[in-house]
Amino acid sequence: MGRAYGFGPSTTVALDDVDLTVQPGRFVSLIGPSGCGKSTLLRLVAGLEQPDRGDVRVHGVTPAKACAAKMIGLVPQSPALLPWMSVLRNVTLPQKINRGAAKRRERIAGFAERGTAPDAPDMRELLVKAGLGEAIHKLPAQLSGGMRQRVAIVRAFGLRPDVLVMDEPFSALDEFTRESLQDQLLALWDELKTTVLFVTHSVSEAVRLSDTVVVMAPKPGRIVETIEVDLPRPRGEQLFGERRFHEYEDLIRDRLRRAWHSDVA
Amino acid sequence: MTVAEERTTTASEAEPPAEPSRFSLSHPKSRMAWIRPSMWLPLVVMLAVLAVLWQYGARRLPYLLPALPDIGRSLTANLGYYVDNALVTLGEATAGLGMGFGAAFVLAVLTSELPLVRRAVMPIAVVLNVTPLVAIAPALVVAFGFGPLPKLIITGLICFFPILINTAAGLRSVPQQVLQVYRSMDASRIELLWHLRIPNALPFLFAALRIVFPLSIIGAVVAEMSASGSTRGLGTAISVASSMNQLPVVYASIFVLAVMGVTLLLAVTLVERRALHWHDSTLD
Repeated sequence: MGRAYGFGPSTTVALDDVDLTVQPGRFVSLIGPSGCGKSTLLRLVAGLEQPDRGDVRVHGVTPAKACAAKMIGLVPQSPALLPWMSVLRNVTLPQKINRGAAKRRERIAGFAERGTAPDAPDMRELLVKAGLGEAIHKLPAQLSGGMRQRVAIVRAFGLRPDVLVMDEPFSALDEFTRESLQDQLLALWDELKTTVLFVTHSVSEAVRLSDTVVVMAPKPGRIVETIEVDLPRPRGEQLFGERRFHEYEDLIRDRLRRAWHSDVA
Repeated sequence: MTVAEERTTTASEAEPPAEPSRFSLSHPKSRMAWIRPSMWLPLVVMLAVLAVLWQYGARRLPYLLPALPDIGRSLTANLGYYVDNALVTLGEATAGLGMGFGAAFVLAVLTSELPLVRRAVMPIAVVLNVTPLVAIAPALVVAFGFGPLPKLIITGLICFFPILINTAAGLRSVPQQVLQVYRSMDASRIELLWHLRIPNALPFLFAALRIVFPLSIIGAVVAEMSASGSTRGLGTAISVASSMNQLPVVYASIFVLAVMGVTLLLAVTLVERRALHWHDSTLD
């Protein structure tokens, strides 16, 4: 099962001649300077934008069909929670929405290969796992920024999505919160094994989380290089002390710098 | 109120609520704060000063201002009369408000969902809003007679626009990223409306109600005054009494109207606190 994304130039040429295939179950980060179209790429996969040219496929179907089957879990930059609902109701609301999705999901080819239908997960359990056990009945306004973003991640995981699409979800958080959320994201991902597309502008975040780091460059938005991160999992804090971790960081920084200079020159 | 608010925020920061307590926020504490003289004394002194000035004016200009005791005597002696007429006016105001609310809410949903309806309706709504209703009232009375109908229409019209504008703004102001999350689940428009847009519009709706409740009384009184043949309601009472130079009755009626307005506003605030316990405006 592969996924192929191909795009053509648009008038603003947000993305030009981008070709990317992601294997199921992989954690893929998109990194690059602002304006390189990494968010656009993400929005195309999530069905929020249409490509002017080219083709996007999620498990062989268009993003629109994937959305209709609730195969895509979106975690935006802000937590995007509903302030009038408790944490529990926020993460269970998706179950009440688009109830016909389960049947549509079964009909999509390749479904059998991915195992049995994901039963409605016990959201309480998932919240407890994410360290939100105390917060289940609280309102979003009563939580810290990090906790809110965790709720947003649990909401997306609760869909048991085939693709988890995350658009700089930790960029608004301080460094300590960010690292603990990375830990929790990896723990949840390890358990539910879904494909993740993760946009970030932090090199160390990309290396720590990803199987694959896709380096992008702006004007026009394009992929410069795809780097496989061959580091053992689980990737705990001891990773930051390791030489190979920093080698990957240096490699990605170097590619980013080159992309930047080739653009300026 | 600032002192009370300062107090409650520091208190709630010091001890965060263990469970979601919708009414623990600031409520009982701010009520307690009214015991302190610094809270009520300024108002009492101000009222006393105004009363003295009023009495002085009434002494000097007896044909323009009735003395306060006369107003009080009129109120107590004919309490039944005032209550009856107040209930009539209140009934017209709330019924008209209800009609205006219903129409405005439905149209707000339609205009925010269908651009076609918005383009057709909004210009008319704006024209209706800038036309002084006092000018329309006599025409409506001619058309619909002295019964309750023109009063309901006028009150409904006066309430219509603020509710329409506010609700439409609330329905449209769901943050983009929230919409994207639910669009990525292919939520239908009805689902977006019911789960996201309408709850999101509630704070806007309550802001409109705070404006519209006093307006509804204005609408009812104006309608009563325009329909010179009507026999009941505080507006009628005022125009009849002023034509017969019964100044205490005029001012007593005005006083009752003011009390009515304050009561309605208080009711809206109480309902708002319950319904919007999650919202910033009630959290602090």
